[in-house]
Amino acid sequence: MARRVPFVDGVVQLFATCLGDLVFPDAVGDAESLLRDAGFRVEFPERQVCCGQPAFNAGHHAAARRVARTFTKAFSRSAPVILPSGSCTTMVTHYLPALLGVEPYEVWELSAFLDRAGVELPRRNEGRTVAYHDSCHMLRELKVAEQPRRLLEQTGATLVPLPRADLCCGFGGTFSVRQPEISLSMADDKLGGARGAGAEALVTADPGCLMHLDGRVRKVGGVPVVHLATALARGIGGGA
Amino acid sequence: MSSKLSQPVGSFRVIARGKLGDERIQGVLDLSVTRLRDLRLDAWSGLEDVEALRERAHEIRMRVVDDLEGYLDQFQRSVERLGGHVHRAGTPEEAVALIVAICERRGAKLVAKSKSMATEEIGLNGALEAAGIRPVETDLGEYILQLGGEHPVHIVAPAIEKTKEQVAELFSAIEGRAVPAELEALTASARRQLREVFLTADVGVTGCNMAVAETGTVTLVTNEGNGRLVSSLPPCHVVVMGMERVVPTLDDLSVILRLLARSATGQKLSSYTTLITGPRREGETDGPEELHVVIIDNGRTNLLHGRYREMLACIRCGACLNVCPVFRKTGGAAYGPVYSGPMGAVLVPLYVGLGNAPDLPHASTLCGACTEACPVKIPLHELLLDLRRDLVQQGVSPRWERVAFTLWSLAWATPFGYRLSTALARLGQPLGALAGPGKLWAAGRAVPALAARRYRDRPRG
Repeated sequence: MARRVPFVDGVVQLFATCLGDLVFPDAVGDAESLLRDAGFRVEFPERQVCCGQPAFNAGHHAAARRVARTFTKAFSRSAPVILPSGSCTTMVTHYLPALLGVEPYEVWELSAFLDRAGVELPRRNEGRTVAYHDSCHMLRELKVAEQPRRLLEQTGATLVPLPRADLCCGFGGTFSVRQPEISLSMADDKLGGARGAGAEALVTADPGCLMHLDGRVRKVGGVPVVHLATALARGIGGGA
Repeated sequence: MSSKLSQPVGSFRVIARGKLGDERIQGVLDLSVTRLRDLRLDAWSGLEDVEALRERAHEIRMRVVDDLEGYLDQFQRSVERLGGHVHRAGTPEEAVALIVAICERRGAKLVAKSKSMATEEIGLNGALEAAGIRPVETDLGEYILQLGGEHPVHIVAPAIEKTKEQVAELFSAIEGRAVPAELEALTASARRQLREVFLTADVGVTGCNMAVAETGTVTLVTNEGNGRLVSSLPPCHVVVMGMERVVPTLDDLSVILRLLARSATGQKLSSYTTLITGPRREGETDGPEELHVVIIDNGRTNLLHGRYREMLACIRCGACLNVCPVFRKTGGAAYGPVYSGPMGAVLVPLYVGLGNAPDLPHASTLCGACTEACPVKIPLHELLLDLRRDLVQQGVSPRWERVAFTLWSLAWATPFGYRLSTALARLGQPLGALAGPGKLWAAGRAVPALAARRYRDRPRG
């Protein structure tokens, strides 16, 4: 995708996303510090809510439109919008403009932005072995796969490949409750793959995958699942 | 409608649960679809410019969809010029009536069939049996399923969930002696059983992978050679084809053929790629004296002019099934008796109406692996998204769901409503796992804790 140079005056707008704001505020904080450490001035538009994706993906376009409009009210086109979420980024870049009949915004998934900005990260994961889980939206719609891996390696982490890394983890929004058995079985495959690969942590850049996989781990045990922003900002031990 | 396609299949979730609980099926499914996927990726990587070829195939298929009636007329004229007969059927009932009539006129007692999803779609075997005519499937996979009274679970590999031990059991019962569960012994046994059918069948029925408008050619893509026997040994050959299965020219066909076998099984070409152009001509020793092509609509016209027209580009290669993480868990049965996987999840609701297949648009995580694998570039996961929108707009989705999303969206339409509703949700959090979606989530996963302080409420440096 052709994009103009994203950081003309070093200002970025941070979109926490609803899951980030409500469930993973620490990861959003980590995203914010990564951006600050890279020299950006981070604005947090107070009127932000949600991109509308939960309703959109379930087919409820009127509801999605109602919520997605909050995005256009909160964010400006004068600075890039950065999200610590691959799937919300996809919603805002690929679907929201057509849904609302508005011009596209300049929107970046966090790791793609940091990589493009050429950040240098401290080696917070020296000697740690991690696996990276591609969220489907990031992998196939945003085509962001190399950037998060490059950043993890920059922090000193050794990346081990997951078996069938192309397979979805089974979250899929409402799919996770419409087809809970299939969804869990897919999660177990993903987590089993991470364990089998010898990873100390499974890192993902999507709060949806994180909520699903981490929820599974907290129920039945397994490799800890960590948001990419946390892994980069504080290390996979969460700064411990 | 009495066609198999519209048979109610029961809840996707219930059927899937059965498959998930069967360790043998889980193992077989994973092994087979992964293998087919890897073979396709290998074959694609052997192409010089697979993206350009996919674009070209898409363009050819959409050119046909743009003027389908024109190309079908041309195809019909070409077939008739060669001495063949073309019949058009709107419904499955019309299609089977036409075919039964052809068989009855010839006094047929035995029909040899090669694999055809179009005949599955119209429920041909049942209709033939009801007319006192015995249909025998001669594709090995289909034959196995017919013996067991089962439906295909994969459009390319219909018996993908069967092990050789299960097949040996079926064949042993037929032969009245123990057939060892070894591939060679099983193949030899199938040959013994089917040879007689090829030699004595009164009518051969095949599908049609692609028809060529300019020449009247019908193409069969098979690996067992049975399609060639069925179309050349019996004195009468009936081709059953979906109305979208046509391409303009032989050149166009060559583009599709370069992608079809590669995408289905990773082969450059299938072992047998048969181009049939008309019935036996004077002086020829092979081929049927009578050739009929039955072109079925069965809901396809509904797709011609709207959002879903790209689905008519499908070449039935099965690549989307092999990469689908949901199909890998459920196999084909949960989608219904004919089409399955992502292409089935899109196609079946369009053919039979969303009200008759409301589970299918949601039988996907929207991961997009199908779209990535489709050789003719059908945006399958986006079509599923649009079908979900239609479910809501047509009032098929449950009322509680519409009410829930509406209330949610009204609350989250303003920052104030968002703050208020999420503060309340945090208070009500312990109740979240007791009912509805929360309960379904909590059965296998810890419920995510809403943070004590939202990110927006934190002091920021």
